[in-house]
Amino acid sequence: MLSFIGRSVVQKIITLFFVSIVSFLIIHIAPGKPSQVDPMNPKFTPEVVERFRKEFHLDKPLHVQYLYFYKDLFTGETVSWKDNQSVLKKIWERFLNSLPLFIVGTIITWTLSFPIGIRSAIFRGQFYDRSATFLSYLLISIPGFFFAYVLIIFVVNQFHVPVIGMETFGIGDGASLPYIFMDRIWHLLLPSVLGATGGIAVLSRYVRSQMLEVEGQDYIRTARAKGLPPEQVHYKHALRNALLPFVTMFGLILPGLIGGSVIIESIFSWPGMGRMAYEAILARDYPVILTVNFVSAILVLAGTFISDLLYLIVDPRIRL
Amino acid sequence: MNIEEKGFNQDFQFEAPMAPKRTRLQEFWLLFRQNRLAILGLFIFILFFCCAIMGLFMTSGPDPLFDPAMIRLQEKLRPPLAKPNLYSLRHEEIPCLGFYLMGTDDLGRDVFARMLQGAWVSLTVGFVAVGISVLIGIFMGGVAGYFGQHHIRVDHILMTILLIAGAGLVMANSIRFGAVLLCLTLTYIFYSFFTQNRSREKYVPSWAKVFRKNAVSMDTLIMRIVDIMLCFPSFFLILTVVALLPASIYNIMIVIGLTSWMGTTRFVRAEFLSLREQDFVAAVKTLGAGNFRIIFRHMMPNAIAPVLVSATIGIATAILTEAGLSFLGFGVPPPHATWGNILSDGKNFIFDAPWLTFIPGIAILIVVLSFNLFGEGLRDVLNPKLRERH
Amino acid sequence: MANNNTLISVQDLKVYFRTSHECARAVDGISFEVRKEETVCLVGESGCGKTVSALSILGLIPTPSGEIAGGRILFQDKNLLELDEEDMQKVRGNRIAMVFQEPLTSLNPVFTIEDQIGEAIRIHKNVGAKELRDRCFKLLKDVGIPSPVQRLKDYPHQLSGGQRQRVMIAMALACDPDLIIADEPTTALDVTVQAQILRLLKSFQKTRSMSVLYITHDLGVVANIADRVYVMYSGIITEQGNTAQIFHDARHPYTQGLLASLPSRSKRGKRLYSIPGTVPNPAYKPAGCPFHPRCPHAIPTCAKEYPQMCDFGQGHLARCPVLFEGGDDTNK
Repeated sequence: MLSFIGRSVVQKIITLFFVSIVSFLIIHIAPGKPSQVDPMNPKFTPEVVERFRKEFHLDKPLHVQYLYFYKDLFTGETVSWKDNQSVLKKIWERFLNSLPLFIVGTIITWTLSFPIGIRSAIFRGQFYDRSATFLSYLLISIPGFFFAYVLIIFVVNQFHVPVIGMETFGIGDGASLPYIFMDRIWHLLLPSVLGATGGIAVLSRYVRSQMLEVEGQDYIRTARAKGLPPEQVHYKHALRNALLPFVTMFGLILPGLIGGSVIIESIFSWPGMGRMAYEAILARDYPVILTVNFVSAILVLAGTFISDLLYLIVDPRIRL
Repeated sequence: MNIEEKGFNQDFQFEAPMAPKRTRLQEFWLLFRQNRLAILGLFIFILFFCCAIMGLFMTSGPDPLFDPAMIRLQEKLRPPLAKPNLYSLRHEEIPCLGFYLMGTDDLGRDVFARMLQGAWVSLTVGFVAVGISVLIGIFMGGVAGYFGQHHIRVDHILMTILLIAGAGLVMANSIRFGAVLLCLTLTYIFYSFFTQNRSREKYVPSWAKVFRKNAVSMDTLIMRIVDIMLCFPSFFLILTVVALLPASIYNIMIVIGLTSWMGTTRFVRAEFLSLREQDFVAAVKTLGAGNFRIIFRHMMPNAIAPVLVSATIGIATAILTEAGLSFLGFGVPPPHATWGNILSDGKNFIFDAPWLTFIPGIAILIVVLSFNLFGEGLRDVLNPKLRERH
Repeated sequence: MANNNTLISVQDLKVYFRTSHECARAVDGISFEVRKEETVCLVGESGCGKTVSALSILGLIPTPSGEIAGGRILFQDKNLLELDEEDMQKVRGNRIAMVFQEPLTSLNPVFTIEDQIGEAIRIHKNVGAKELRDRCFKLLKDVGIPSPVQRLKDYPHQLSGGQRQRVMIAMALACDPDLIIADEPTTALDVTVQAQILRLLKSFQKTRSMSVLYITHDLGVVANIADRVYVMYSGIITEQGNTAQIFHDARHPYTQGLLASLPSRSKRGKRLYSIPGTVPNPAYKPAGCPFHPRCPHAIPTCAKEYPQMCDFGQGHLARCPVLFEGGDDTNK
């Protein structure tokens, strides 16, 4: 077990190293310059541009820039080119904003997908299964922004659910804590539901297909031959086997923190990480882009590592 | 015993009835036909395909039937099925059908014409992007699965790095250094290539032996590359590259294709790994078949099933991604119309002119839905474990 | 005839599988019975419908495609085909138990042996934890698994094939059933292990006063353990009788063909016999007698009329009127 962990960690670190190189190359090799450094930008006189370049080592060769950047990253000193704030601080703030959206969305997705998927599999071909299937297809196929606007048009006019930002403007310090809390939740509702619906559609289909595959196995037939009532056959024998791959998927939701959804955050003006990364791309704010990339790579690798570990623990057939 | 003699002298007087002979394709079609949703998906796809092709002919050229680029500012934001105000229009500005089938947008352009033009774009983006990703995926997955145990030697890796460095130096204008490096590496490559076929017993000094060591297997290398690609959140990668490159439809297609081959690689590799151990591969090998023949003629038809399914669903995803990019402003540049473009232009007028949002939105929904239904139908038929037991 | 000695009686059972374009008649009207404390073998080639018959006794036919098209299964004065699901569950594992062919895939890979055997007991009987463990231990000992204490904590993939099959038998014995249905339990095992398992099953017949319905395609096994034999072909019973009658005095051309194709020392140096032709597709059966295209004694009526069972005396019946009327000269 320990050797597996050790080997895995070393491999992940090597991958991380290569990811950092590749993302660095992509940014710098692509044509175009950061807007601040662009000689065409009328806001900057040539001297300012020159100072900017010296300050951020843009005149040095690529590999030197690379070293500078990552040194700054690890010592926490990277600075955004757009507004001169510390990148890590910016990311942290936006991360805290994205977190509730992500958590609520994930909870809704995972708690609803399993019952729906399992029920679909058990009552295969009947009305419940067919309607759930059709609804899933619909939700998978609808473009996210279109669905958002449809929801906005129909829901907002009826229920006055807020669609902008994280909290009501000017709520300030005057309001009591429970009131602020409820306000936040009210604002959270529509974006997280939107994010969750797509996730539910995909995950419940996957749950259904896993359950179906397990239900066709021989040991389910043995369980029925022993005289087990159907609930026990499904929920004790079949489910335990069908859930194995999902335990590993659990580790992989970690990268979703960064992915977030640019689109949802744009529509609802939610100040989250997705939008920050999007704006950074537009402004060619290299430090922010590279840092976000790096963090996301760490999350992906950590997520895969956790899933591998969980799989080891949960499946008795695999013992290293 | 008597029966033995009788048995051998017996000629068949009685014909046993045989089951009807069916080819694999017929068998497949019979099963597929039962899934009504999948048939619906196929039908809509064919409809969409015809619309796209017709649309291409009807909206391109200098004097097209339905002109998507004709700006009529006096007719802006007319609702669908509205009759044009004939007095304010010149003769060639009058829409072909005599009325605006799907209304006009904020520049007075005929939405129906733009939808037709956009259909072709969506189709091409979907197919080309998925084509690229499937080709790369099959290649990488096949190599990883079949040649997985082949090792790459240290000197190979060094040569590749030096080759890339040499090419980079040449492009960065230090031609002399670059050229020297390139020549050296190419000579070494040719040398090692030719000596491989000769005797391996040549004396190699011990310091040089390091270069011959096996560094990493093909399988590990390719899987690490896949892992690296997976570390980038895909939408961001596409967004990054599209934002940094000049906007054009080909760039979008290529970028989407280059960022979505990882899934196919995994599928193909998994299938090849399991197929490689099967007896029919060993049988073909003993008959003397070469590697290519084994891969393309024998293993590929068996491994193609998950690839087909993920390709169909990939087309749907590519169309959605293109719409998303257009929505954010990074899609195909104006005035060329795509469905995402129309939707994105329409979001500013959502309460005044909801048809600008709904028509392309519903169209995208239907097309993507049809691909998804078709793909899932394929998956159900091609995977015997999930088949409906009718 | 049903009398006090009959444990279970299957009468004219028909099981059909329908797809959208064809109907496969897997079991086409078979009747057999198992008496108390006897071993009955159901013999036939692959695809003749023996497994389907066994599964339908316990109501385990997959239902969207398979349907019971007729017949009765009488067990303890009840028709099993008419029982609802709850009552059926009381029978399964409790009075009638089944042992399947593939021991690895038939055991749930994520539960320990103790869990799975214990579950078999817990469903039907209310016992405390300690008693449960004792019973599991005793069962493992009875089926001959060495070091049972260690084995109880193991997972199925840690056992060998023979041991897994013994565990399956232990699970089947857990509630002391009246009948065990064994569906080719030794096909996936080595010959030596096979002999041990057969001996085990035979021993239980007396010690636990249990009957065994043994399904196989191996005539050697039949000769070893069977009291009575039913020969199946293409969904119907072609011959039935006790072991001596079947092996020394076979009256149906199919049985005769099967016996003739067994290699033996007396046939050394001669060409081995094989029944010409192939088993018919269950959806496209020949009219009349299903065996007639391959039968050396077939006459034109065989292609038109479905043959009835002919009584050769002392419980020996065969479904071949041709050999029945032809008298004894065809067989000695």
